[in-house]
Amino acid sequence: MFKLALKNTLFYKGRSITTAVLTFASTILFILYISLLNGSHKSMLENSLKIYTGAIEIYHKGYRDIGGNEYLIQDVKAITDKLAKIDAIEAYSSRYETYGLLSNKEHSAAAMVAGIEPKREKILSSLESALREGSFLDENSANCLYMGIELAKKLKLGIGDEVAFIGSASDGSFAADIFRVCATFKTGSFEFDSSASFITRSYFDELMYAKNRASYITIKLKNIEDAEEVNSQIITMIDDESLESLTWKILMKNMVESMEIDAVFGYISLSLFMVVIFFVIMIYGFINVSSRIKGFGILRCIGLSKRDVFLLLFYEILILTILATALAAPIAAYICYYYSINPIVIEGIADMYKDYGIISNEIPFDFNLVTFGWNLGVIYLLNFLSILYPYMYINSFGPFEATRHV
Amino acid sequence: MYKLILKLAWKNSFLRRVRTLLVIIMIAVSMSMMLVLEGVYDGLVKNMVDKNKRSQSGDISIFAKEYRVSRDLANRIKNADEIKAQLQSTKGVEAVVLRVKADGLLSTARKSSFASLIGIDLKEEERFGKFSEFLKEGVIDFQKQGAIVGIELAKTLKLRIGSKVVFSTQDIKGEINSIALHVRAIVQTTNIGLDKGAIFIDINQAHKFLGTTSQDAMQIAIRGEDRELYGKLKRAFPNLDVKEFLELQPMMKMMQDVMIIFNSVTFLIVMGVVFIGIFGVMYVSILERVREFGIMISLGMPYRYIRAQIFLESIVVGLLGYLAGAVLGAILLIYLERYGIDLSAFSDALEMWGYEAVIYATIKVSYFTTTFGAIITASLLSVIIPLSRIKKLNPIEVIKADK
Repeated sequence: MFKLALKNTLFYKGRSITTAVLTFASTILFILYISLLNGSHKSMLENSLKIYTGAIEIYHKGYRDIGGNEYLIQDVKAITDKLAKIDAIEAYSSRYETYGLLSNKEHSAAAMVAGIEPKREKILSSLESALREGSFLDENSANCLYMGIELAKKLKLGIGDEVAFIGSASDGSFAADIFRVCATFKTGSFEFDSSASFITRSYFDELMYAKNRASYITIKLKNIEDAEEVNSQIITMIDDESLESLTWKILMKNMVESMEIDAVFGYISLSLFMVVIFFVIMIYGFINVSSRIKGFGILRCIGLSKRDVFLLLFYEILILTILATALAAPIAAYICYYYSINPIVIEGIADMYKDYGIISNEIPFDFNLVTFGWNLGVIYLLNFLSILYPYMYINSFGPFEATRHV
Repeated sequence: MYKLILKLAWKNSFLRRVRTLLVIIMIAVSMSMMLVLEGVYDGLVKNMVDKNKRSQSGDISIFAKEYRVSRDLANRIKNADEIKAQLQSTKGVEAVVLRVKADGLLSTARKSSFASLIGIDLKEEERFGKFSEFLKEGVIDFQKQGAIVGIELAKTLKLRIGSKVVFSTQDIKGEINSIALHVRAIVQTTNIGLDKGAIFIDINQAHKFLGTTSQDAMQIAIRGEDRELYGKLKRAFPNLDVKEFLELQPMMKMMQDVMIIFNSVTFLIVMGVVFIGIFGVMYVSILERVREFGIMISLGMPYRYIRAQIFLESIVVGLLGYLAGAVLGAILLIYLERYGIDLSAFSDALEMWGYEAVIYATIKVSYFTTTFGAIITASLLSVIIPLSRIKKLNPIEVIKADK
């Protein structure tokens, strides 16, 4: 049957070429589209995670929903001692975040001031590598402030300038101090750069009465794919009902959800092309079998079953699909691989979409063999579906009726 | 004669009923899907542009020269009331509002966040952009130190109607000043900046709090779609920063451009594939009737009549597909324009990016006219090659060969 199918595909050149070309085009389009979609989403997530958010973060229950000083983690050391025993954790650190007003003589701005452990933060986030001017914090930086470049611009501050901070301490009392801008950073995230500044925890803890307390503990994993598994391990290990340990999927729920919606719209757009191509392949298949009804009648008369006829059509479409995908898949894979290493750069896109958290002008593709696998699976499935109607059409004729068909 | 040709074309179009029907379904399904996609994407952008204009930028905005570089109280327009009066008497200006703005810290007893205080006149904003239509919760009202907050800011600070908040910032003298307010309403403007960080209060209260006067404003927003208005205002106020909507919202311009490119590329690809589909069917349909055409030519029928008949056949198929697609597309678009696509399950994510949870489509006549042109063109082009083969026919040989 396979031999017959092969001969048929060579004989009916018009149909074969059209089907193969359309399958080739749809395979390339499908793989590249999904790769671009996944690549841009992955890059957005990675950039966001790299800047500041941890793969896992531990909070006191209620801190994220209600907030306030009574929801601070009260014994950081007890938790971090346990975290130190988990192999899959690369680094961890506690942060104390508060919001206050930063003012100089003429300007003031609301800002998030966070007390961080500089040594640990170097491994955890990209804060250090975002340094623009001055030098990154260390344990002895005292009242040195590491300020977002857009915030510094807003306050018209330069390195060495002093700025007054007014906020409230962890016990609810009034907290005020004079900080000195020692360095500025630029992560590329406009919102972050225009609102965040950092100070060494040891100094900040004194001001905020926050020793051994923290807003949360942030964790970096050796492999981010293990987030769920490590999170379960952390929950078991800390064994404290008042705490919650959350993975990046929950921490960045809105971003993950918006990417899902974007992906859904992407798939809908793509399905338009797929539906049209499916119809054309089916029409060509239909035209082809319509012209061969007599032939099918003869085949049935000499003893071939309906199953054999189906197999014949199946092999024909299989041969054409294999031929097209064998050519298209390596080309598409190479393009994806190339652009995953050398992303497409659209100058100005980050600036244009800064409100949307886009921090890079680069749009990388995603090179993932599993994705290629299911993309090809869809193409094969569509092509197989395209023979169903032609097959039903042939079967609507009895063997003798078919032999007399004009 | 042409009546006969038309009759022949109609009958021949349905000679192979299933095949013709498949092409019609293919055109109808792809066309209706394309129309829906165009309508939904255009609707998304149109909605954002419209609400951005109404809530913030207007068609044109005027600022003090340095304000957009440094959002300082010092960089304010100091004779805003005079300019407003002048603008109101300018031809082409439909509405004008003054706004007072200051960035600062908004705090509840438990949480704080960055926010922009915006002093507005509710009555004027209603005329300007139907401000009340942005209401999500509560009552649009500034009574008793009332304030209206953006939906994302409300989520960040866990604000509800009646929540007490304190806004702190530097006033015009450089002193840190605070004002206690009650949340009266939560609004969703789909302007990401406003939804994430705006707290609206009465403009007179804002003046009092910041130490500015009723002659001051940080922004004068203007509605007016007269194309010459922008140039006129730029010339009239050379010492001020006059910007039109797309200059203030370059992202919107980019979104519009991206949508046009996306829709055009989609259109070309889909029509290209549709062309291949029609071509396949017409090609086979014509070539399997070569003998008939040979007989017709032998009987003395001029080639131009055969050509007309074949063109008519392809037009009949294309037109029927177009009509089915147009009706299906129009029904879907009307439904989506009225009821939209409800994505409430993802409302948090959508609102975070400035989109509404229900996305409404828009309908443009151009969707139908351009598709009509494309399908008819594709239908006509699809018979060019088979026609050239018919033209080369030697009728006697064809009749003999097919015997």
